[in-house]
Amino acid sequence: MKNSTARLIIVLAIISIGSGLLLALTYNFTIPSIEANAAREQEIAILETLPGATKYEEIAGTEYSMYKGFDDTGKLIGISYVAEGGGFQGIIKMMIGINPEKEEITGIKILSHSETPGLGARIGEAGFQGQFAGKSINDSFVAKEDVEAITGATISSKAVAGIIKDSLPKAMEQYKASGGGK
Amino acid sequence: MELLLLFISTVLINNFVLSRFLGICPFLGVSKKLEVAFSMGLAATFVMTLSAIATWLIQHYILMPFGMERFLQYVAFILVIASLVQFVEMFLKKNSPALYQSLGIFLPLITTNCAILGLALLSALNGYGLVTSTVFGFGAGVGFTLAISAMAGLREAMEFGDVPVPFKGVPITLITAAIMSMAFLGFSGLIAM
Amino acid sequence: MKSTSYEFFKGLWKENPTFRLLLGMCPTLAVTNAAINGFAMGLATTFVLLGSNIMIAALKKLIPDKVRIPSYIIIIATFVTIADLGLAAYFPDIYKVLGLFIPLIVVNCIILGRAEAFASRNSVGASLLDALGMGAGFTWALTLLGIIREILGMGSVFGIKLFGESFISWIIFILPPGAFLTLGLLLGLFNALSKKKAEAN
Repeated sequence: MKNSTARLIIVLAIISIGSGLLLALTYNFTIPSIEANAAREQEIAILETLPGATKYEEIAGTEYSMYKGFDDTGKLIGISYVAEGGGFQGIIKMMIGINPEKEEITGIKILSHSETPGLGARIGEAGFQGQFAGKSINDSFVAKEDVEAITGATISSKAVAGIIKDSLPKAMEQYKASGGGK
Repeated sequence: MELLLLFISTVLINNFVLSRFLGICPFLGVSKKLEVAFSMGLAATFVMTLSAIATWLIQHYILMPFGMERFLQYVAFILVIASLVQFVEMFLKKNSPALYQSLGIFLPLITTNCAILGLALLSALNGYGLVTSTVFGFGAGVGFTLAISAMAGLREAMEFGDVPVPFKGVPITLITAAIMSMAFLGFSGLIAM
Repeated sequence: MKSTSYEFFKGLWKENPTFRLLLGMCPTLAVTNAAINGFAMGLATTFVLLGSNIMIAALKKLIPDKVRIPSYIIIIATFVTIADLGLAAYFPDIYKVLGLFIPLIVVNCIILGRAEAFASRNSVGASLLDALGMGAGFTWALTLLGIIREILGMGSVFGIKLFGESFISWIIFILPPGAFLTLGLLLGLFNALSKKKAEAN
């Protein structure tokens, strides 16, 4: 009886069901915090790339994930969108904030990347990201010319500049098509 | 073209063993003899390609329709891989005794080769399609075979080297791996992704 | 029957999973580019080890021999998912860094190894001590590796800068080659140490 096939199947089934139940419970218990974390991270990224903004709302129907940021009085500060592109070792994903009226960048924030630690990963540092604020969206964005590259990480620096340059016209177009900028 | 690039980058740039640290246990354990290491590599490539397909199907036709991919993924994937390995083992035993003789002993070891679970999870994470996942699985297997065979070749030669006693075996293998990994770093930037 | 405290203390040095048994090498190499990551990985592994060891020791009489490995794998994968969800919910920063290596605890040979070699034939109490000891041994090993690599590669420990601006970090130590190199040298060193000790006795 101890090793009969029926017993094997029953034991495995009970363990699987037990595991499934336990996991479903844990999932339901933790998912609010996980979603809150993701939302908070998104909020921080949006507000950081739009200095002065205190609240935001998503713009519907654009290809990029795009958000409008407002200050306390409800005045539009700018728009922020998520762009991505290839870096040195993987995809670089970032939030780019622009002021569509002045046609300038208000800030960028790298959301995720897999660049080399200690070299390319320094694109995540404030010093590198900070240089983009205030640039006109019509700049040429060439690393080592109007963009200061990180020593030892020219390719990563170029990649970031390239993603910004490529996405800006598309973002402006999508923003206008969605009815913004009137 | 894109698939070819993915293949090359999986074999050379993001080599599973040397830059992602997946499959280190067999890399250290089964790399004493070139012939054995190569067979292990083949067995792993075979299982990796198959499991890339199997886990993709599970992910897209069972887990995702029911919204269970967040919490049942690990359990489901590891079970699929374990059953797949078992199945391959039985199939080979019956249909190809010669191949079973050379690969058989490695198959059970492959279940706990983290490269395979890692591969399944990476494919799911990157949202690869079925074809891309398969190429990714195959490329990862080839990269693993390349790394483990190269290491075995070096270790065979090192048998005769005058290695200080405390460093014999695993320590010197790790230091060799460090140098190999440095060489593979040179491949990064080969392809602009 | 060995003393109870032995079940705990063996994991720290005599049967240290990293330096003596050479188990769980993948996470050991992959996440130790900073001290805090090694420490967090050690704790996550300890949690899974503790859960699975206790569960398996408690259920060992009910699980038929033939399906014990699949059963162990399900139990382990369950605890790993719990750890994964818990980290994602309450420690999102650590979760981001450890990323893929949390699910890979499932295939960490330490856990299945202890289930098979220890928990399946010992009492719940002894398995608990075994898990704590092995977990502590794994954690200190990973933390040590992380500390060494972080000092050399970034000039800091647990994120605190140790040297002035003039320190030029050896970035190679936080890159993959540095992982292999540091572990190789440490293993050689520990081999030499325990050999000396054995000769002295």
